[in-house]
Amino acid sequence: MSQSLEAKVEFEDVLSWIKRIGSDSSSTVPLLQAVQSEYGYLPREAMDMIIQNTDITGSQVYGVATFYSQFRLKPVGRHIIRVCHGTACHVTGADRLDTSLRHILNITDEEQDTAENGSYTIEQVACIGCCSQAPVLVIADEVSGNLTGANAQRALKKHAKKNEEIVAKI
Amino acid sequence: MDVSNLNVIVGEGTCGIAAGSKEVIEAFQKHAPEMNIRTVGCVGMCHQEVIAEVNDGNGNKHIYGNVTKKTVPQIIDFHKGEGDLPEKQLIFSPDDQDLDKWRYLAHQTRIALRNVGYLDPTSISEYQARDGYKAIKKILTEMTPEQVIEEVKTSSIRGRGGAGFPTHLKWNFAKQSPGDVKYLICNGDEGDPGAFMDRSLLEGDPHNVIEGMLIAAYSFGASKGYAYIRAEYPLAVKNFGKAIKDAHESGVLGDNIQGSDFSFDIKIKEGAGAFVCGEETALIASIEGDRGMPRFKPPFPAIKGLFGKPTIINNVETLANLPWIINNGGKAYASHGTEDSKGTKVFALAGAIKKGGLVEVPMGTKIRYVLEDIGGGSSSDLPLKAVQLGGPSGGCVPESLFDTTIEYAAINATGAIMGSGGMIVMDGTTCMVDLAKYFLGFTQNESCGKCTFCRIGTLRMRELLTKICDGHGEMEDITVLEELTEQIKKSSLCGLGQTAPNPVATTLKYFRNEYEAHIKDKKCPAAVCKSLITHTIIPDDCSGCSLCEMQCPVNAIEGQKKVKGSFVIDQAKCINCGMCFEVCNSKAIIVK
Repeated sequence: MSQSLEAKVEFEDVLSWIKRIGSDSSSTVPLLQAVQSEYGYLPREAMDMIIQNTDITGSQVYGVATFYSQFRLKPVGRHIIRVCHGTACHVTGADRLDTSLRHILNITDEEQDTAENGSYTIEQVACIGCCSQAPVLVIADEVSGNLTGANAQRALKKHAKKNEEIVAKI
Repeated sequence: MDVSNLNVIVGEGTCGIAAGSKEVIEAFQKHAPEMNIRTVGCVGMCHQEVIAEVNDGNGNKHIYGNVTKKTVPQIIDFHKGEGDLPEKQLIFSPDDQDLDKWRYLAHQTRIALRNVGYLDPTSISEYQARDGYKAIKKILTEMTPEQVIEEVKTSSIRGRGGAGFPTHLKWNFAKQSPGDVKYLICNGDEGDPGAFMDRSLLEGDPHNVIEGMLIAAYSFGASKGYAYIRAEYPLAVKNFGKAIKDAHESGVLGDNIQGSDFSFDIKIKEGAGAFVCGEETALIASIEGDRGMPRFKPPFPAIKGLFGKPTIINNVETLANLPWIINNGGKAYASHGTEDSKGTKVFALAGAIKKGGLVEVPMGTKIRYVLEDIGGGSSSDLPLKAVQLGGPSGGCVPESLFDTTIEYAAINATGAIMGSGGMIVMDGTTCMVDLAKYFLGFTQNESCGKCTFCRIGTLRMRELLTKICDGHGEMEDITVLEELTEQIKKSSLCGLGQTAPNPVATTLKYFRNEYEAHIKDKKCPAAVCKSLITHTIIPDDCSGCSLCEMQCPVNAIEGQKKVKGSFVIDQAKCINCGMCFEVCNSKAIIVK
């Protein structure tokens, strides 16, 4: 993965979130959510700033960050694709959506989930509650349902074209 | 004919959006900008999405299903008097109110879901027009908290989140618990994969849930409320947030509501993705900013909960029933259902079913009625094999037990649980061992790690199931699975661990033959488990289109383009992902 995906953390931003959300221990989850919604993941620097400027301890920040599946500690691509792996999606072929998207994004290393060019990250999520349209995926904020592997690629190509991203030709 | 006096109503829940409602709305705006277009929540007929209603404001309405941007002009032309009725899309019309498609809704008894799909969730006035906030006004002027609890006791409603604890009892505990500050938490952390009724309610009828929270809070004296909503439900968070704001402005939320001395406020807390947070004490830990790990009970949250104060946690669906119960009386609610289980229950139907969506039926209805009469039976040519009730904590009920009635006790007797109401329907294409592996993978992933048997026991079970699915299983593995099932149930602190082995226990009970086929014959009868199947191309059926070659992610397929029957799969390279099978238009690929 290229280095350029690392976010540049602005001290002022983190302070403004602390001011808005709070600095007591019950603010841990919302603060980390604010950080992630800005940077796409939880940069180490941002977590350190929270620890230094609130009553929240380091063990609590790291404990929470590693407990909940929403939080990511690694940088992500410019757009996120969430493939639903709820029960209905599992039995109707969610695996094939993963396979076809990894294929078109040319992600061959099983450990990786982001395309080499930093365009998209594929994330597997538990259930987005659209079970009757299974299998379902969400590209950025757009939900698509009743997909086959080929349809999923089509949806991604459409999004890529609109956002000037490059994906493989299939 | 002029259509400017007609209203178009398009369902725009998350499932509507997934099916393409935004394109449909754009098409209406483009082809008939003079029509009055608005959006509502999801009515729960997910199999018919996108759904659009055209009405004249005087009760005459046509409802269309499976609407796409291409069928919109046809619908508009018909209402202009310039074209034929689009019969294929028609679900309901003033002239034909008993269409097969409409029976999906007509066969239901809707109490919790009474408003979804009928009102604009972002409009408080539409909720008020459907008796909204009448119940809270009634209790503030006519009823004491004790009377509210009594009314809910008469209704006999039990918590709809899964455990089924009587709601009035819970409230009574908190009421009797001393303390100035008490909390109410609305549990919208619908973590069961396969259940989406809470999403639909929060998205499609948020004021109903807020009014339910007000009633609950009034009954035991809570002054602060939290709505814990999954972050995976962005539209629910948005609509619920708007509803809180509007309720404030209308004086039904905040200080001294309706001039009384009752004050209550609600804050949204977005969940961060942890199934275990469905467990009360874990949810509380999460709101307090900690890892969502359950703790030992007692003390129960009703005595010592959030920030050490008495706290009640009610599920979204439970809350959504309360305004109706206050307006119509507990007796009316209890008139539905059976001796063991009163009222109605919402189920989320999905999987291999013709008509998937949300179904609300009286307790005591047979499972078969829900699947066949309402759901329309199997969506494929294959007969139904089983239904998974209660998500990862529940179990598989085989077709032979479809005549079981939907009641807490009767469902528990099958080995499954009522749970939050997910119903995943399966036909012969689902492998029960793979399904058990899927659920164990889920619970193992979501185990918080506190109890040893839940943490390591589920991992061992998952390993054994993987071994069986890979074709390396031995008959002794089944014995070990059964032992682990007992141990994990006995040695786990919370509901997650206590119920985690249920999918394995029920599939072993009802589908042992499938386990044995994997172990003894090294075969997967449903042709799902990748290590036990092969994909081959039948040369006679191959059209030579090369689609399979293009889609193969591992370059295992080779052949000459446009030459019939020339394509061959290299079995050494093939990973059995199924992409070729899915794209082959000539059905030339067989999976065995």
